[in-house]
Amino acid sequence: MNEDKRQEALENIELIKQLVLQTRKHVGQYGGGWICIIWGVFCFVGVAGQRLLIPHGPLMGVWWIGLAVVAGFATFLVARGYLKTEPIRAQHDYLRYFLRFWIPLMLLGYTLATFIALLPSLSNHYISIVMLLVVSAGYLIIGFMFYRGILYMGAIGYVGSIICAIFFLEYSDIILGIIFGLGLILTGLVINKQWKNT
Amino acid sequence: MEEHIAVKLNKAIHQKARLGIMSILMASEEAEFNYLKERLKLTDGNLSTHLSLLEKEKYIRIKKKFVKKKPKTLCQMTEKGREAFKEYLENLEKIIRNTP
Repeated sequence: MNEDKRQEALENIELIKQLVLQTRKHVGQYGGGWICIIWGVFCFVGVAGQRLLIPHGPLMGVWWIGLAVVAGFATFLVARGYLKTEPIRAQHDYLRYFLRFWIPLMLLGYTLATFIALLPSLSNHYISIVMLLVVSAGYLIIGFMFYRGILYMGAIGYVGSIICAIFFLEYSDIILGIIFGLGLILTGLVINKQWKNT
Repeated sequence: MEEHIAVKLNKAIHQKARLGIMSILMASEEAEFNYLKERLKLTDGNLSTHLSLLEKEKYIRIKKKFVKKKPKTLCQMTEKGREAFKEYLENLEKIIRNTP
């Protein structure tokens, strides 16, 4: 009799543990995998386009802004689709944090990129370096505060950007596009896999 | 001794579906009806019955509101619910500890 009670108590504790863990994961990471994949593709396509547009300076700004709008819209669609079944509090938190965090950072990136494009003394190659430094800083902040997995991505991106700026400036966009694009897509796939296993 | 502790387990929480509802609300603070239904694999009627019971005990608060003209039922855990859930967990631990 007592053994039955004990067994039932253990089962209940296990059920509570699983539900609490899964719910916390939902609140923290829901849809994050696909969003990483979208921005990974954004890096690849962005760099490829930039490569073609480098001789046309200001057009590069239009290209990156246009692409960011498309990627942002895709992110919104993914988030909206996933959030339909999310706890309401998580919906609010997720969208609010996403916008509050990335919009000022992207604004900083675009402002710096515009200055570089307008300054004839600076190579347009620095645009991708600056953009990726800003994005890496974002990952580092997220990594330190919320999700460790993305910390490595931020550290690799940051150090990689600086190394490219010093040693491989001319090819930096290709190198960084591949590192970031692949890194983001892989991170997205890992998050999706973790999500399915919860 | 162990029997005595088992009897103290809160019956409003002890049932599996209600235990699930309380666990999810403990982690997310607020959850929507459809989210709970999907996570706990319950029917509308079944979930409503369990929610009503928890609301009657004042363990949860149920709010209805319209988001983009669609009705949403939101469930929130109350302070009383939080306390009851903690006590329930402590009692489960006691049962495990006291059974040889």
